Amino acid sequence: MAEGSNYDYLFKIVLIGESGVGKSNLLSRFTRNEFNQDSKSTIGVEFATRTITVDGKVVKAQIWDTAGQERYRAITAAYYRGAVGALLVYDISKHATFVNVARWLKELRDHADSNIVIMLVGNKSDLKHLRAVLTDEAKQFATDNGLSFIETSALDATNVEAAFQTILTDIYHIVSSKALETSADAIRPSGGESIKVEPSQEPKQQQKCC
Amino acid sequence: MSSRTSRRRERLIRCLTKDDVDMADLMQISWQGIPADLRPIVWQLLLTYLPLPSAQRLNKLHVKRQEYASLTSLTFSKPLEQTIWHQIAIDVPRTRPGVPLWADPTTQRCLERILYLWAIRHPASGYVQGINDLVTPFFHVFLSFYIGMSSLRLRLSLPDHRSDGDPSTFSPSHLPQSALTAIEADSFWCLSNLLDGIQMNYIHGQPGIVNALNKMSELVGRLDHKLSQHLAQEGVEYMQFAFRWMNCLLMRELSVENTIRMWDTYMCEGSQAFSQFHLFVCTAFLLTWSQQLLEMDFQGMIMFLQSLPTQDWNDRNIEELMGKAWQLSNTWKDAQGHLGAPG
Repeated sequence: MAEGSNYDYLFKIVLIGESGVGKSNLLSRFTRNEFNQDSKSTIGVEFATRTITVDGKVVKAQIWDTAGQERYRAITAAYYRGAVGALLVYDISKHATFVNVARWLKELRDHADSNIVIMLVGNKSDLKHLRAVLTDEAKQFATDNGLSFIETSALDATNVEAAFQTILTDIYHIVSSKALETSADAIRPSGGESIKVEPSQEPKQQQKCC
Repeated sequence: MSSRTSRRRERLIRCLTKDDVDMADLMQISWQGIPADLRPIVWQLLLTYLPLPSAQRLNKLHVKRQEYASLTSLTFSKPLEQTIWHQIAIDVPRTRPGVPLWADPTTQRCLERILYLWAIRHPASGYVQGINDLVTPFFHVFLSFYIGMSSLRLRLSLPDHRSDGDPSTFSPSHLPQSALTAIEADSFWCLSNLLDGIQMNYIHGQPGIVNALNKMSELVGRLDHKLSQHLAQEGVEYMQFAFRWMNCLLMRELSVENTIRMWDTYMCEGSQAFSQFHLFVCTAFLLTWSQQLLEMDFQGMIMFLQSLPTQDWNDRNIEELMGKAWQLSNTWKDAQGHLGAPG
């Protein structure tokens, strides 16, 4: 078998938000340090991983990048299962993508684990001359909804590292404190299966659709 | 050209030059691939866009191109449906990125009109990401007909011209307007015919795809138990990798040249090919990688399956795949009722 469990924690993260806000480029910047001006649209989901260190522990992020179009929501909701973190991305130069953040949030509340850690990400911060969403406006929204917040640029790499590092650290702190409360056995890194923030929940591996 | 290829070409020409083309004959000859210069007319015949009797073709083309022109002018005289238009505008520049033909503003405007008009005429699905990919083989093939033609007079019976220019690097702004509008209209109608057979893939909940994935998983379970077990044990779901195979008809996995060759065969498999036969193609495609997959864990498999090493695939690889799919289809087609049955 391949690499095995050379990490202490495995966290599943989803990237969501409107079409064209730069989700795939945030992922490729973080996992491969690549940026592609005209990348193809994401169909269904795409997957990548990267391992970082938090408090001396090896944390592996398993990141699922989702399609932004409304039509795909019925099927992408299934990918939220088991996710412990979500980056909810909008484009700072397109106000409509920020307005729709509320709908995405509802999407998460409806389909994801109730303890999922959510970070609001204003991407394309390099487009300063086209800014349509004020930083304060987004910050306020994040505070009101209990989300963390950051502005990034996948193009020039600003804050991409910080965004992932922050959310992974937040998740790590929650999970490690939970692990202290309950049994550490709840955290069992293995391929394909993700760690539940709430250890009491039964992991549902196979869900038959239709 | 091998003697077999040239014999097939002669047979095809004999078939095409009849006053009334025999569809069964045409399908039988074309299944194994269509010579590039004959492909535009053969595709249009196979998709029933062109009538089989040659005497009716000129008139039908004229009517359909006129109809497309009036539909577009009518549709674009009204205020745009913002949600649809917005999505199309985002996706058009992301269609075959890096290929000069698709970076050309002239092509991009054609693509916008084709997608928008189709979406407006099909409100149950509207435009769904990935449909943009499906336009490109048609545009590519129909454009090839005009590239390098000494006379741009439309030859509707049979083109004796052979194209050597590659459509991918061609700038369509060099074409006369009449040729460009013809390519656009023909691409639209042929795309419409193709999509008619797979509409269930694009309506709410995408039931066509969900069904196909269930059937595929069941087929793999019967054909390659080891692989099926391994996927299940590692927690790999078909939705995670084969959704795109269904949604974009493997166009994200294969080159446009491969796709074009594949569609030669699909079009000879009847009206259900892009849903039914495609399911067998996807199954055969997955089984191609069975040995490698058995060596991998969850992450390895997902990463591998989302960027498969098909860059060097040529017509022979596609023909092998079509052959395997055909065998599967022959064996399992009638068992379809039992596959993926609810409960």
